[in-house]
Amino acid sequence: MSSDEPFDGLEAELTALGDLVDVPTPPPPDVAAAVRARLASDLPASADAPAVPEAPADPAQGPDPAHRPQPAPRRRRRWTIVAAVLAVVIAITAATPQGRAAVARILRFAGIELQLGDAPPAPVITTAPLPGEHSVPPGETAGQAGFPVKTLSALGPAQHVTVADGGRVVSMFWTDDIRLDQFDGGIDPVFFKRLGPPMPDYAKVGPYAAWWLPGTHPLGYISRQDGTQVPLRQAGPTLIWQQSGLNYRLEGMASKEEAIRVAGSLR
Amino acid sequence: MDDDEAITRALGGDLAAYEVLVARYSALAHRTAAMLGAGDETEDVVQEAFVKAFRHLASFRRDAPFRPWLLRIVANETHNLTRSRGRRSELVLRLGSAASDGRAPDDPERAALAGDRRSRLLAAVRRLPERERQAVICRYFLQLSEAETAQVLDWPVGTVKSSTHRGLARLREEVGDELG
Repeated sequence: MSSDEPFDGLEAELTALGDLVDVPTPPPPDVAAAVRARLASDLPASADAPAVPEAPADPAQGPDPAHRPQPAPRRRRRWTIVAAVLAVVIAITAATPQGRAAVARILRFAGIELQLGDAPPAPVITTAPLPGEHSVPPGETAGQAGFPVKTLSALGPAQHVTVADGGRVVSMFWTDDIRLDQFDGGIDPVFFKRLGPPMPDYAKVGPYAAWWLPGTHPLGYISRQDGTQVPLRQAGPTLIWQQSGLNYRLEGMASKEEAIRVAGSLR
Repeated sequence: MDDDEAITRALGGDLAAYEVLVARYSALAHRTAAMLGAGDETEDVVQEAFVKAFRHLASFRRDAPFRPWLLRIVANETHNLTRSRGRRSELVLRLGSAASDGRAPDDPERAALAGDRRSRLLAAVRRLPERERQAVICRYFLQLSEAETAQVLDWPVGTVKSSTHRGLARLREEVGDELG
């Protein structure tokens, strides 16, 4: 979005703070089922009746539910009794591992769920692509991704670019196993990483908070449909950070300092 | 199934396809309603918004993204609710205690300072005048672009810019610019 200037310190801080605001929500499948039940009961019984009974006269006008007649009285339903507060849960929450002592902490940052354990997790020996991952000519990502795509100018042009999962993730590859993944996952994590010692190291990319993950670790993908966790591969040392509402992971740099330097060239 | 395909099928009356969309945007819709002040009626607001979105799906412009279109309905429902309650929408936020406990990778003192800073910043956001608060929440907490924020709040983009700018200036005055 060209009108959006790069964020300054306070803006970055607000973005990070927003990520920590935890809004209690019922499980998405329950919401979907409840909405469906209401829609099903509202639909006319006859089979040839239109599924969408009312369409505004001017489609360009957009929705304006406030001024439309109510086809049915409001029926409010409760799935759960929720507290009238938004609990702000700071990034590192104590997980209660049930039956699996491996995960001691879960840290959510930059669209990635970090599952921190006491011991290094067993490495992943298989590799799998991201869902729907396909190659795209570099420079032609614009129409395919759901966000403005950037690159690392310090590394020169990427040799290979892929887009995955309907534009949710864009990956760029350079030689020496260097890759940059960029994705829009402010609300729900897109990737998960299983980590043991050595633990993540706090870092900063310019004004933006970042974490350096020094060891190799299992990397996986979190399906946006239902949150299923799909193992991908064993990832190398990675820097993850969030910038202007988008998330980045840079893998394959030799050191934390080098990774931060290259990350600072994001354009 | 991507949004476009789900919408096509839902327009044909396929409720299972619409369920996919609801599940996909449920968390974001709850977050939007809650942060814009729906309070303990968040779940009702979201359900109502999804029902209305389905009924108005035919008015959705297919070349536009679904997310801001849906969130505008959510914001509209939230607005109707807060207006009917006849009071300023309340944004109730509480800081959790997990900030400084246990094995935070950062050092504890720094974590505690950061936690305090977060509480003050959050409280300052809560005290912002309504429009500035809405702009700041959409732009940073919900991470919407200026254009999306304009669509969701049904404001001109210029109003989004000016309200955001004023809100940030006020926050800076209250809590300073940088984390110490």
